[in-house]
Amino acid sequence: MLKFLLTRLAMTLPTLLGMSFVAFAIVALAPGDPVQMELRAMGIVPKPEDIAAIKAEYGLDKPFFIRYAHWLVRALQFDFGTSVATGRSVIAEIGLYLPATLMLSLTSLVGAIGISLALGTLAVMADRYTANCVRAVSIVLVSIPSFWLALLLIHVFVLNLGWSRLVGNGSAIDLILPALTLSIGAGAAMGRFVYERVRAEACEDYVRLAIAKGVSPLGILLGHVGPRIIGSMTTVWSNTLGGLLGGAVIVESIFGWPGLGQLILQAIGQRDFPIIQGYLVLMGLVFFVTSFLADIVLVTADPQLRRGLADE
Amino acid sequence: MSKSKILATFAALGLLALPTTTHAVAETHLTVAVKADRYSVKPDKFTFTTRRPAAQIAETAVKPDANFNPSPLLFKAWDYEDGTYKVTLQEGVTFSDGTPFNADSAIASLKLYDQNKSDFLQLDQSSFKKLDDYQISFRSEVESALVIENMTHRGASLFLPTDAMAEYPVGTGPYVLESYEPKKQITVTRNPNYWGQAPKIDKITFLFIGDDNARLLALQNGEVDVIGEVTPQMMLSMPQDGSVVLNESRPIRYAALMFNMLGKAPFDITTDISVRQALALAIDRETLAQVLYGGRGQAAKTILPGWMFDLGDDHANGFAYDPSKAGKMLDEAGWVIGEDGIREKDGRKLKLRMVAAYPNVSTVKPMPEMLEQMFAAIGVGTEIVEVTDSGVYNDTYFGPGQADMYLEFASNNNTDPTYLLYNVFTTMSPWGYAVTSPGGNVDELAKASRVASSREEAIDLVRQAYKSIVDEHTSSIPILLVPNFTLSRPGVSVPISEYADWIGYGDVSFDN
Repeated sequence: MLKFLLTRLAMTLPTLLGMSFVAFAIVALAPGDPVQMELRAMGIVPKPEDIAAIKAEYGLDKPFFIRYAHWLVRALQFDFGTSVATGRSVIAEIGLYLPATLMLSLTSLVGAIGISLALGTLAVMADRYTANCVRAVSIVLVSIPSFWLALLLIHVFVLNLGWSRLVGNGSAIDLILPALTLSIGAGAAMGRFVYERVRAEACEDYVRLAIAKGVSPLGILLGHVGPRIIGSMTTVWSNTLGGLLGGAVIVESIFGWPGLGQLILQAIGQRDFPIIQGYLVLMGLVFFVTSFLADIVLVTADPQLRRGLADE
Repeated sequence: MSKSKILATFAALGLLALPTTTHAVAETHLTVAVKADRYSVKPDKFTFTTRRPAAQIAETAVKPDANFNPSPLLFKAWDYEDGTYKVTLQEGVTFSDGTPFNADSAIASLKLYDQNKSDFLQLDQSSFKKLDDYQISFRSEVESALVIENMTHRGASLFLPTDAMAEYPVGTGPYVLESYEPKKQITVTRNPNYWGQAPKIDKITFLFIGDDNARLLALQNGEVDVIGEVTPQMMLSMPQDGSVVLNESRPIRYAALMFNMLGKAPFDITTDISVRQALALAIDRETLAQVLYGGRGQAAKTILPGWMFDLGDDHANGFAYDPSKAGKMLDEAGWVIGEDGIREKDGRKLKLRMVAAYPNVSTVKPMPEMLEQMFAAIGVGTEIVEVTDSGVYNDTYFGPGQADMYLEFASNNNTDPTYLLYNVFTTMSPWGYAVTSPGGNVDELAKASRVASSREEAIDLVRQAYKSIVDEHTSSIPILLVPNFTLSRPGVSVPISEYADWIGYGDVSFDN
């Protein structure tokens, strides 16, 4: 097991390095001079010496690969530099937003899991007509753009019913609508996966045996099928969590939720390149960590894989 | 009942009634939605309270009057002679921590904000002199007669230099900082020792809401009282049920079409002034004003409104809507109508690229499409490029001159009459506007205006320069003059200013 973990970690190093290079290059090669944009944002008409001084301050006067090497060395020490726009460190800036995004993503994931299990099992256990309806609903829910759903929920629950408020302060009650917006689409997508997996398992011999023994359908689902699909579901959940962490930009913006989506939108607009680079690396790390954890769960949950690793 | 008993009875009833007629006055709390938190905490780029939301904490030396001329605030009077400014300070003013505002603290404050790479002030740091407790003098680095004008910019607010300046800025303003949650909100409360006219509002919270739609919905839902940054798109989607009230200033911002004056092929057609003037005549400005701003915009003859700096409405002749004259001009220039309705000359189509971007497409949309139709009516084809990102705009289209026309939307948003002229309409422009500048006499007039010996002289030179830009060179075509807007919920009256940084949120009143 330890060997597996170490191998898995070693394999990700080139990926992380490549990812860091892409993150750096995307920002460095994007149009828009961050120095000019910063000076404009401050209402300052630049003199050539001002521009040169700021370029030197951010190391923008050095060749691309030298800049990348310097940045990488600092990034390895978790120093991603200072925000051009605010003067706070990138870590501090991300720290301001990350808790809200984590809270939103995790809540959305829990909601999505609930929705997916409900839709998936309902589609398996219901009669053909109901199952077709459930599948059709799933397709519709997957297809709804999140910004449209967000506006619909705001119209109904905020403006008409007055059950919620739009401008929250990051408290739990303000989490409901943005989390619901994200949960519905993600849950419907995962519901189809639950359906497929349960259907596949239903053809296995152990399920037939359980039926022959007179175990109830619910008992079979929870006691026999559930444990068998949990590993593969974990992989889906981890990917979904990664997607929610990085993909909630629009929903966060519409609900004014103070998460990383707001940060990156502002940073892109202002060409706040240290923030953009830090954010891209963070998102890469998030996907790496979530998939790594999913691998561990997968191995732990699957006796065959566990035995295989033990034999190595 | 005797008269005295009756009087006593009324007196007793009156006394009994007193507690019921005396109401506790509720704290007035205003919530304003603004777009983004733009505060920098870096000591050398200190901008914590230099922008709208927290500008209530610190005041500037002078403030703009109704015509954008500077008027007294912390500076009571000033005089400029032989390159030296002699200033008399307002007496009886204290910073919110009790430090007196006098010659010493004023000099310290002035030195603080000039280190902010802020060359528009161009103060000579070594020239500050204390003449007495309430009199100081200083010089401009570049012999500019417009330093006082530039001090009306909120970016030039006077803070007391302290070690904790970034966390707790101290100024002389009507409010003090109560709390600041980066990216979420700023709350300021009434400064009990404010030296000037006390504001009406006790507490103001500025919420940072980046999404335009979310700001509008929050206003509709009663979660905020005022929206400070309003785009035309928000106005177009504004509900018409009375749940949102539009407040507008006099028209101040201009929408103009600026031509590529570099003349590099394939974007060299508009180097012919006949083409530029024909296009100027083809624009139906009244229709644009009506459709885009519901009549709130104003057809523009000039880049700046006549009231600004007392420039006068006739400081340029501008262009009327005369498509037949436009067609004749193009005919005379050799551009003849082709089979597809687009004019041709020497086998080349009269097709122009128009880029709409600044400050963002949504601000001017759907103006490009309407202009395309108006130009098509005189046989000019238009390729519209809409760019939402200012970096892409500057690097791809504007800087290298990769278009014939640029639709821009801006204003001279301070009381220095030379600011916009120098930075946007000259080949010396530090923002890269050499592409659309005529150069020549306009450059000379702009240079001279910056070192004029008096404000009057500067304004006269500016007037001549704008007239030349529009009438002589037609390097820019004024299209519309547009007000500044705020939105508020019903029952909230906002004293709006053309100078957006000077909207008096402290003097907002609740009608109910």
